[in-house]
Amino acid sequence: MSEGLYDLIFICMPTTPEEEITKIVSTLEQTASEHGGKVEKVEKWGTRKMAYRVAKQREGFYVYLALHSTQGSLIKELERRLKVTDAVIKYMTVRVDEEIKRQQKLVAHREHRARRRPRKPAAASPVTPAAAPAAEQQAPTS
Amino acid sequence: MSEQQSVPRPPGPSGGPREGGRPSGPGGGPRRGKRQYFRKKKVCRFCVEKVDFIDYKKVEMLQPFVQERGKILPRRMTGTCSKHQRWLGVAVKRARNIALLPFATEL
Repeated sequence: MSEGLYDLIFICMPTTPEEEITKIVSTLEQTASEHGGKVEKVEKWGTRKMAYRVAKQREGFYVYLALHSTQGSLIKELERRLKVTDAVIKYMTVRVDEEIKRQQKLVAHREHRARRRPRKPAAASPVTPAAAPAAEQQAPTS
Repeated sequence: MSEQQSVPRPPGPSGGPREGGRPSGPGGGPRRGKRQYFRKKKVCRFCVEKVDFIDYKKVEMLQPFVQERGKILPRRMTGTCSKHQRWLGVAVKRARNIALLPFATEL
């Protein structure tokens, strides 16, 4: 019953044809829906240089998925599938919901403060000086 | 886009002069009277930009805080505040796991 948001990144062999990567992604999506999860976002970063050699390769095709999962067994199953797939040379799953929650909290806090702060000086100081010169200006002209 | 613009900033004013200034600081005494060396106030780059979340996927953002050989730069070099240094460490370690950043550059 653990609900969570996950980042799943996997790296394919640079020689893998595009169709095969699409196939891998679609099987992962299917597995996710079978286990009560959902793939929210798919990003293909394309072939890029890796920081160190993996499976004797210096380059790899990166694919990034954002997942929503309702049970932990989904992640287990997805990782098992990636392990079995020959084209995939590396994968990583990171749980990110707590960080997103923290980020949202901070953003909300900042917005709250930003909303509160300018109102005080705007309400207190500019009204009276602005009103006074306006009245003074009106008096001589009329 | 915004990360790319901001990337060159930290290594320039924060990383550069301090690296040269630090070793000469404690040892190099007899130059002037009171102030032997002048140090710019370090400001946490993430605090200035109001970063709430350091993403391990944005390598360009992490690169300035990592040495060429893959070490994470200490806080005293970059001026990062402790909260953001903590987040940064986690992000760099995640990026290393998926080969976005090196553990150690092999030659």
